[in-house]
Amino acid sequence: MVIKIIEFIFSPFLAFIIGVLFLGLFRKIVARIHQRYGPPIIQPLLDVIKLFHQKGFSHGALFDLGLILSLAGSIVVILFIPFGGICPLKSSGGLLVILYTMLFLPLGIALSGGEGANPNISIGISRKLILSLGYEVPFLLILLSTMSFYRTISIVDIVNSQKNFHWTLFSPLFLSGIAYFMILPAMLGMRPFDIVSAPQEISSGPAVEYGGKYLGLFHIQHSFSIFIMIALFVDLFLGGGENIFYFFLKMLTIFFIMVLIHSVFPRLRLEQALRYLWKWPTIFAFLGVIISKVVR
Amino acid sequence: MDRKNILKWLKEPGKMGHKYSLWAVYFCTGCGIIEVPPTITSQWDAERFGVIPVATPRQANLFMITGYVSVKTLKAIIRTYEQMPEPKYTVAFGSCPINGGMYWDSYNTIKHIDKYIPIDGWIAGCMPRPEAIFIGVTKLWMMIDKGAATGYIRYRKNYKFYRRNQEKLFGKLPWPPLYPVDEKENKNG
Repeated sequence: MVIKIIEFIFSPFLAFIIGVLFLGLFRKIVARIHQRYGPPIIQPLLDVIKLFHQKGFSHGALFDLGLILSLAGSIVVILFIPFGGICPLKSSGGLLVILYTMLFLPLGIALSGGEGANPNISIGISRKLILSLGYEVPFLLILLSTMSFYRTISIVDIVNSQKNFHWTLFSPLFLSGIAYFMILPAMLGMRPFDIVSAPQEISSGPAVEYGGKYLGLFHIQHSFSIFIMIALFVDLFLGGGENIFYFFLKMLTIFFIMVLIHSVFPRLRLEQALRYLWKWPTIFAFLGVIISKVVR
Repeated sequence: MDRKNILKWLKEPGKMGHKYSLWAVYFCTGCGIIEVPPTITSQWDAERFGVIPVATPRQANLFMITGYVSVKTLKAIIRTYEQMPEPKYTVAFGSCPINGGMYWDSYNTIKHIDKYIPIDGWIAGCMPRPEAIFIGVTKLWMMIDKGAATGYIRYRKNYKFYRRNQEKLFGKLPWPPLYPVDEKENKNG
């Protein structure tokens, strides 16, 4: 019982630490690719500390509540994700809960930002919702293929059946894994798909009216969402991990490749991104669904 | 980041946070902005000190007034400055905001920026090199450490002075002035 309570407190905290560390690594790696020295790795943590000591502006009740809704949604998703043997909520229908609760992440930001009444925010939110419409289609097909391949809707069972290097990525379902890998930059909001938070076009999009502690909460939500998206990939396709260290190592590898992609490619336009997302990842994910039906 | 500073971090996390994560609002007033792109890119990497440009004043706490300030730009500067969350720091960059510089007898630029918004630090020169920006930033760190960078408190305290100067400069306003100048004062200067 005591261990369970410790797990409940420990896992969002660990997710926050890993997410913030990833944001710091992100800035450091990009700086090294630019042949710069780069900030210290804990710089995002310093930024969050600073932001919580600043005076923030609220734009109404929904401005606060939407942000809290998004944060709460991401914490709930983290409680359902098994990482390295720790899973606070081992339910039998974990994957479906994750699927529905993940909708709160963009929706809460959209609700909160809409209260800010800035034209840049409305453009950013419309881009964010359209982009999430773009990656939801292949994402749903990928989850469907894994669920029907393993005949279960429990993410813990999926991780358990991949033990001893029977990873999904090396099974007949590898096409779905490739499709997930292709939509991962769009889910993280990284460079070919950083249409939402384009600082040069729309002044950093939905975050334009956030300041002080609201921006701090926004950053924490962003680090949570980075953790969720990569942890799901590791759980579904790379076999989870025996302990936290191996899990973290796998996440780090995926994130490193994502940063390399981020620092090389330019930004796509919205309709180009949508055309890409509904073409190749969707085709691969659809083939994955067919394969999962044929094999089993 | 210094290992000796850990005790300071535990004692005053807010002050140290303001010190090591200065986010500058990317606002160009004059020709001085040409020195900022080399400062933030590969040649002189400002990000190693935690200084990054942000696209909106709501997220920024450092305002660099780069180059000459025309009357029309001053309106935008004041609006931007008032949108920034406290504590906020301003640095005047180049000789034009200090005393007018080569635009001393221009009809359309202001001479002393600190009559209209409070300034915490000055970087002299025409143009100052990127190294001068880093010296300015380290001086600003020292001021934050000592609690001397109090421009935003001065602005709140002496708001009447700043507002009157602004309204005097802008001349015809679409709204009645907040602190009107009476006749006696007008004669004196």
